[in-house]
Amino acid sequence: MRASKVLLVFRKDWREISRNWQVMMPIIMVPLLFTVALPVIVTLVPELVNVPTSSTAFLELMLENLPAQLQSQLSGMTESQVMTYVMLLYFFAPFFLIIPVMASSVIASDSFAGEKERKTIEALLATPITDGELLLGKALVSFLPSVAVTAASFLLYSATVDLLTYRTFGKLLLPNLNWVVLIFGLTPIIALASVGLTVIISARVRGFREAQQISAVLIVPIIAMLLAQASGALIFGVPVVGGLTLVFALIDFLLFRLGVRLFRRESILSQVG
Amino acid sequence: MPSIETEDLTKRFGSLTAVDHLSFRVDPGEIFGLLGPNGAGKTTTIRMLASLIEPTEGCARVGGHDVVKESLRVREMVGILTESPSLYDRLTAEENMEFFAEAYGITDRSERSKRIRELLEFFDLWERRNDKAGGFSKGMKQKLALARALVHSPEILFLDEPTSGLDPRSAKDIRDLMEELSERENQTILLSTHRLEDAERLCSRGMIIRDGGSLIVGSPDELRRRMTGSPFLEVRLRRVDEGIIRSIRTLEQVSNLSIDDDANKMIVGLKDLEDATPLIVRRIVEAGGLILSVETLEPSLEEAYIKLVGGEAE
Repeated sequence: MRASKVLLVFRKDWREISRNWQVMMPIIMVPLLFTVALPVIVTLVPELVNVPTSSTAFLELMLENLPAQLQSQLSGMTESQVMTYVMLLYFFAPFFLIIPVMASSVIASDSFAGEKERKTIEALLATPITDGELLLGKALVSFLPSVAVTAASFLLYSATVDLLTYRTFGKLLLPNLNWVVLIFGLTPIIALASVGLTVIISARVRGFREAQQISAVLIVPIIAMLLAQASGALIFGVPVVGGLTLVFALIDFLLFRLGVRLFRRESILSQVG
Repeated sequence: MPSIETEDLTKRFGSLTAVDHLSFRVDPGEIFGLLGPNGAGKTTTIRMLASLIEPTEGCARVGGHDVVKESLRVREMVGILTESPSLYDRLTAEENMEFFAEAYGITDRSERSKRIRELLEFFDLWERRNDKAGGFSKGMKQKLALARALVHSPEILFLDEPTSGLDPRSAKDIRDLMEELSERENQTILLSTHRLEDAERLCSRGMIIRDGGSLIVGSPDELRRRMTGSPFLEVRLRRVDEGIIRSIRTLEQVSNLSIDDDANKMIVGLKDLEDATPLIVRRIVEAGGLILSVETLEPSLEEAYIKLVGGEAE
C-alpha cells in the first residue's frame, strides 16, 4: 500500500466533488438547518408565542425516564427552560448522526458509483494503482469531509446554543462530555459504516442516484433512535452513545470486509459495458 | 521478444464466450490492428491485455510480463485509450493530465509539467489547458484522452476504437495524429477498430476477429487478397465469339470465366493477375478479337470485410 497513491486518489476525488454542487449543496444546507435553524426555533419561538401544553406532553414522558443525575440537573428550572435544555442537549443529538451519514453517503455514491456512471472508471482502473489504494483513497474522501463537516457543525451548534441560551441559563451549555463522545466517538464510526455500505451498494448499482437512494436506508435506524428518545425509551447519555459506538464499530468491520471483497476491477468493469 | 503475445486467450462471461482461443503476436514497434464489428471481442481482448480483467483460459504476455501474475507491471508499461474518453469533466485538461501522470509514477514535478506541455502542444490543446474537460468537443476529448494515454511514454499503447463516434473531420485529425505519433514515439500499438480505413492507413499487420475468434491475420494487402479471393479481369470487346471464348477457357491460369453477351464483356477469374493479363490479351488478339478496354476488378477491402464479418461492420 503506497500512501502517495492513496493521497493522489483522495486529492483527485476531492477536487471533483468540491466542484459538484449536487454533492456540496446537501452537505452545506443540512448541517446549517440542524445547527442554526433548529436551535433558533426551539429557543426563540416559545418566547414569541404561547406554546400549548399539549405540544410539550411528550417531554413529560421523556423527563420521567431521564437518569437520576440528569433529573437533578433539571431541578429548579422553569418548564420552558427544561424544554429548551432537553430539546437542545438531548432530543437534537440524533440529528447529528444524520449529518455524517448523509455527507459520507452522498460523497461515496459520487466517488464510487458516479465514476462508473460517467465511465471514467476504466482509465482509472488501468493505472498502476492497486485495488486497496483505490478503495482507501475513495473511502477517505468520503469519510474525512463528512467527519470534518460534523465537527464543524458541532462547533457552530455549540456557538449558536450558547449564544441563544446564555442569557437564560447563565452558563455555557455546550460543549459537554456527552456531546464530545457523540461527535468525536460515535459519528466517525457511523460515517465509516455509511461509507462501507455505500461501497457495497455502489458495487451492485450502475449510477450515482441509485446508490444514493439505497444508502438513504441508513437514516432509518437514526430516525428510530430519534423516536425512541422522544418516547423516553432511549436517552442519548454517555452509556448509550458508548454502547452504540461499539455496535457500529462491529458493523464497520463487517461492512468493510464485505466491501473489500466486492471491490474488484472485473465486476466493476462488467457494469460499465 | 514480442511486445504482445497471446496463446489461446479466452474470456467467458457466464455462457457467453467473448474471446475464443485467440493467439497472435505483435513485434516491437509494430502497429497491429484488431479488426471486427461491434461485439466481436476487441474491447475484452484489450482489457485482458491491459490487465484489467483476467482471462478464463489461455495466457498473454505484454512486454514480457504475464498479464495475470504481473498485472501491476503490465499496467505500468502500457498506455490505454479506452473506448469512451474516460476524462474527468470537472477537472481541467491540465488537471486530468497531472492526475494520470502521477498515477503512472511521474513523481518529479518539473518532468511532469514538461511532458504534459509537450503533449498538450502536440495535440493543440495547450491554450485550452485551464478549461474543464467537460466543455470540450468530442474530438478534443479524444485528443486529450490520447495525450493522457501517452503521458508516461509507454512502450506499448492500446487504442480502443480511437475514431469511433467522431465526425469525419475529427476522425481524420485523430488518424493523422496517430500516424505522426507512431513515427515520433516508435511505440508498439495495438489498435482496435471496426473502421477499415483506420487499419489500412496505420497498421503494418492486422487480425480480423468475429465472435471472439480469429478469422484472418496478415498485412492490409494480405488481408485484402485473402478476403477478396482471386482478382478478376474485365475485357470489353467489339464482339465476343465462340473462338475467343475457347482460346481463353483452355488457359490454365484462368480459374473462372463468365460472358456478358449484351455488353460484349468477358469477366475472367485469374490465379495471378500480373502474369496472366498479358497472356489473355495476346490470346484474344490471336483469336481475332478487337479489345476496347481491359480493367482489373477487385472488390474493395471494405466490401470484402463487411461480407466476411457478416454485414455488421459500419
